[in-house]
Amino acid sequence: MSTAQPVIRAERLTKTFGPVRALDGLDLEVAPGEVHGFLGPNGAGKSTTIRVVLGLIRASGGHVELFGGDPWRQAATLHERLAYVAGDVALWPGLTGGQCLDVLGATQGVLDETRRADLIDRFELDPTKRVRDYSKGNRQKVALIAALAADVELLVLDEPTSGLDPLMEQAFQEVVRTRREQGCSVLLSSHILGEVEALADRVSIIRRGKTVTTGTLAELRRHTRTHVHAVTVDEPAGLADAPGLTDWSSERLDGHIESRFSIDADHLDAVIGQLHHAQIHTLTVTPPSLDDLFLRTYDEEVPLHDVPGLEQPEEALR
Amino acid sequence: MRATGLRTMLGVHWRTHRSGTLVWILALIASMVGTAAAVAGLYTTPEKIHTYAAAVTTGSALVAINGRVEGIDSLGGVIQDESGFLMALLLPLLGISLVAKVTRREEEDGRLEAVLGGRVARYVPVLAGLIDASAAILVTALAFTLGITFCGVPAVRSALYAASLGGLAFVFAGLAALVAQITRHSRGVYAWSLLVLTVAYLLRGVGDVTKTWVTWLSPLGWAEKAAPFGAMRWWTLLIPLAVGGLLCAAAVLIAGRRDLGSSLVRGRPGSARASAWLRSPVGLATYIHSPAVLGWLAGALIIAGMMGALAKQFVGAVTGNPAMADAIGMSTAHPEDGFVAVTQLYIAIIAMGYAVQAVGSLRGEETAGRLEPRLSGTLSRMGWIAAHGLVIVTGLVIIVAVSSVVLAASTAWSMGTPLHLARVIGAGAAYLPAELLVGGLALALFGLWPRAFPAGWAVFAIVAFIAFLGPGLKLATWVLDLAPTTHIGNPPLGTVKALPLIVLSALAALLAATAAVGFRHRGVPRG
Ligand SMILES: Nc1ncnc2c1ncn2[C@@H]1O[C@H](COP(=O)(O)OP(=O)(O)OP(=O)(O)O)[C@@H](O)[C@H]1O
Ligand SMILES: [Mg+2]
Repeated sequence: MSTAQPVIRAERLTKTFGPVRALDGLDLEVAPGEVHGFLGPNGAGKSTTIRVVLGLIRASGGHVELFGGDPWRQAATLHERLAYVAGDVALWPGLTGGQCLDVLGATQGVLDETRRADLIDRFELDPTKRVRDYSKGNRQKVALIAALAADVELLVLDEPTSGLDPLMEQAFQEVVRTRREQGCSVLLSSHILGEVEALADRVSIIRRGKTVTTGTLAELRRHTRTHVHAVTVDEPAGLADAPGLTDWSSERLDGHIESRFSIDADHLDAVIGQLHHAQIHTLTVTPPSLDDLFLRTYDEEVPLHDVPGLEQPEEALR
Repeated sequence: MRATGLRTMLGVHWRTHRSGTLVWILALIASMVGTAAAVAGLYTTPEKIHTYAAAVTTGSALVAINGRVEGIDSLGGVIQDESGFLMALLLPLLGISLVAKVTRREEEDGRLEAVLGGRVARYVPVLAGLIDASAAILVTALAFTLGITFCGVPAVRSALYAASLGGLAFVFAGLAALVAQITRHSRGVYAWSLLVLTVAYLLRGVGDVTKTWVTWLSPLGWAEKAAPFGAMRWWTLLIPLAVGGLLCAAAVLIAGRRDLGSSLVRGRPGSARASAWLRSPVGLATYIHSPAVLGWLAGALIIAGMMGALAKQFVGAVTGNPAMADAIGMSTAHPEDGFVAVTQLYIAIIAMGYAVQAVGSLRGEETAGRLEPRLSGTLSRMGWIAAHGLVIVTGLVIIVAVSSVVLAASTAWSMGTPLHLARVIGAGAAYLPAELLVGGLALALFGLWPRAFPAGWAVFAIVAFIAFLGPGLKLATWVLDLAPTTHIGNPPLGTVKALPLIVLSALAALLAATAAVGFRHRGVPRG
C-alpha cells in the first residue's frame, strides 16, 4: 500500500434519509493508483457512499475527503480530476449516442479524442443512433466510454458493466487495466465477483451501511478457508481437534483413511505436517474461493461479528 | 377477447395516479362551480342578465372566443358564456392528460414492459386508462351538475350542460389514446392532441361567427349545439359518445396488435458529434428547453394572431356599447388599447405557464437521473442553475416579444391603423415581473422542496383563474390582489406604475436567490 495521500478517504460516515439509515459508520480508503473493489448486497449503501464521496449528497456524520479536499464544498474543482459512471445511466433520449458522449465528456472536463475514437471501435458503438433507440447495454456503453476516455486521475464506477455482454465485459476489463497502468485510480462498485477478482487490487465489503472487511485479495483469501481432501495410509493423529480446523469427517476406504476438512490459512502448514506423518496417498487442496467469502459476508442471517476470520475495523474501535 | 389483468391494471393506475387525478378534478370543479357561484351572485335580476346578454352578442368578437350560447338570456346561459373559453381548454386537456399519463408515458419510461410481462393482455393498459379517464370525467360532470344546480339553474339543464362538457372531454380522451398508439413520446401525444383542439376551436369560432354548419365539424361545436340553456338537444350527446367510442375502439385495437415500444413515427440517425454549443451548459439547457419555448410560443401566437384578426370586430362592438366593454373589461374611450390590454393578459398567462413548465423540466432532469452525472463534472451547481435560468428567462422574453409583435401587426392589419409596435411590446414587457415571480416561486420549490413542485402548477392555476375571470366575476379586491398580474396596471389601457414592477421584480429575484441557495445545500438526486 502506498503511503501517499489517499485519493478517497471516508471515516465513520453516516447518512440518514428520514428513518432510513443508509450509512452507519462506514470506512473506505482508496490509495492512488489502485483499483479498489467496492462490494455489498443490494441496498448496502454503495451508491449512497459514492454520492457522498462525490459531494452530490452531504453526509449526516463522519468525515470524507476526496483528493484531500472536502467534496461538499469544492465539488466542481475536485470533479476536474475524476470521471463518474452512475448506477442508473440516464441520457437525453433525443440526442444521439455520440452527442451524449460529447456532452458527458464536456461535463467531466476534457475527452481524449484518440481514446474516444478507439473506445467507440472497441465497444462497437454506433454513435449516430438516437439514445431512445439504443438497447440498455448500448446506453451503458455511452456512459462508460465517456468516463474511460476522460483524462482524469480517478474513475468512480457504480456497477459499470450491468447490461454488457461477456465480450464487452472483457473489453471493459482490458481498458480498465490499461488506464490503471497509466496511473489512474479506480473505485469499482460491482456485483460481478469475477470482474472484481480480475481487476481489483484491494476490496472493501460493506453490509447495512458498515464496512465489514477491507484488504487485498490475498489478505482476504488468507482469511478464508482451504478445503482439504486427503487419503492417507494411517489414521492422521490429532486431526479432529487441531486448531483452525472445521467440518472434519473421516472414513475407512479400501484399507486407506479418507479425511475431509477445511482449515484456515494460518494452520494449513501444521495440518499438512500431520497428514505427512500418516503417509499421504492422495491429496487435494482446494484454494479458498472468493465466492464463498462474499456469500458468507453478504448473508444477512449471519450477524456481523460472526463472520469468521475477517478484520473488523469497527469492532476494533469499540 | 378476455380482458386479462384489467382489474390489476385499474388497481395499478389508481394507486399510482390517484392524487394527480384528484387534483385535476378538484381544480376543474372549483373553477366551474366558482364561476357559476360568482355569476349567480353578480347577475341577480333578469335585467342584469339581459344587459349582459345584449352586450356579449353584439358583434362577433366574443362569439368567436366564448362561443354562440343559445339561451344566453338566462343565468345558465351567462355561466356557459363566462366559462366558455376556459372550459373549451380545460375539459379536452383533462381527457388528454389523464390518458397520456397512463399510456405513452408509462411505455416511454419502460414501466409498461414490466406490466405486459405479467398476466396483462397487451391492449388492457390502454383500456384501463380509458376506463379511468371516463370515470374521472363522469365524476367531474356529476359535480358540475350539482354545483351549477346549487347556484340556481334548473337541474335538467345543468345536467345536459355538464354532460355536453363530459362528452367533450371523452372525445379528447379517445383521441389521446389513439395518438398514444402512433407517436413515440408522451410529448407527441400532447402536441398532436392540442393541435386537434386548436383546429376544433378555430372551426367552432368560424362556424359560430358565420352561423354556418362549420360549427358541427368541431367537438366544441357538438357541446355547444346541445344548447343546454336553449333548445336542449339531448340527442347531440350521441355524437361525442359515438366518435369518442370509435377513437377508443381504434386505440384498443391497435394496442392489441402493435409491438411494444413501436409506433408509426420513427426516429432517424443523427450526428455522431455534439457541437461546441451543445457541449456548453447554456447550449444543452437551450436544447432541453426549446420544445417548451416553441410549444408555448405557438399557443401565444395563436391567441395573438386570432385576437388581432378579430380586433376590428371587438373595437366595433365596444364603441357605443358600454355594457359589453364592461363585460370584458375594456374601455369605450380607448377601445383599441383596451383590446390590446385584454390580449396581453392572455399572453402573460401563457408565458407564465411556460415559466412553470420550464422550471418543471429541471425537476424532470433530476428525477430522470440526468442531473446526477451533470453535477459530477466540473460544472458547479450554481453554474448549472444559472445556465438554465438564463435560458428560461430568454425563452420567456422571446415568447412575450414575438407574440407582442404578431399582436401589434395583426391588430394594425385588421383595424387598418398604423402599427403601434412600441406600445404593444411595452405592454407585454410590463407583465414580465409577474411572470418571473411565478417562475421564481416554482424555482424556489425546486431548490428547497423538489417533491412539492406540483404546488407550482396549483399557484399557476389560481393566478390564471383570477386573471381570466376575476374582474368579470367582480371578485373581492383582496382575492384579485393575490394574482401578481393584478398589480401590473392593465397596460396599455391603464398606466403602469414603477413601484409594483420593482416590488414584483425584487420578490422574483429573492425567490430565485433562495432557490439557488437551497439547491446548493440539498442532496442530488432527491427522489
Ligand atoms: N434518497 C433516498 N431516500 C431514502 N432512502 C434512500 C435514498 N437513497 C438511498 N436510500 C436507501 O439507502 C439504502 C442504501 O441504498 P444504496 O442505493 O446506496 O444501495 P446500494 O448498495 O447501491 O444497492 P444496489 O446494489 O442495489 O445498487 C437503501 O436502503 C435505500 O433504500
Ligand atoms: Mg447502487
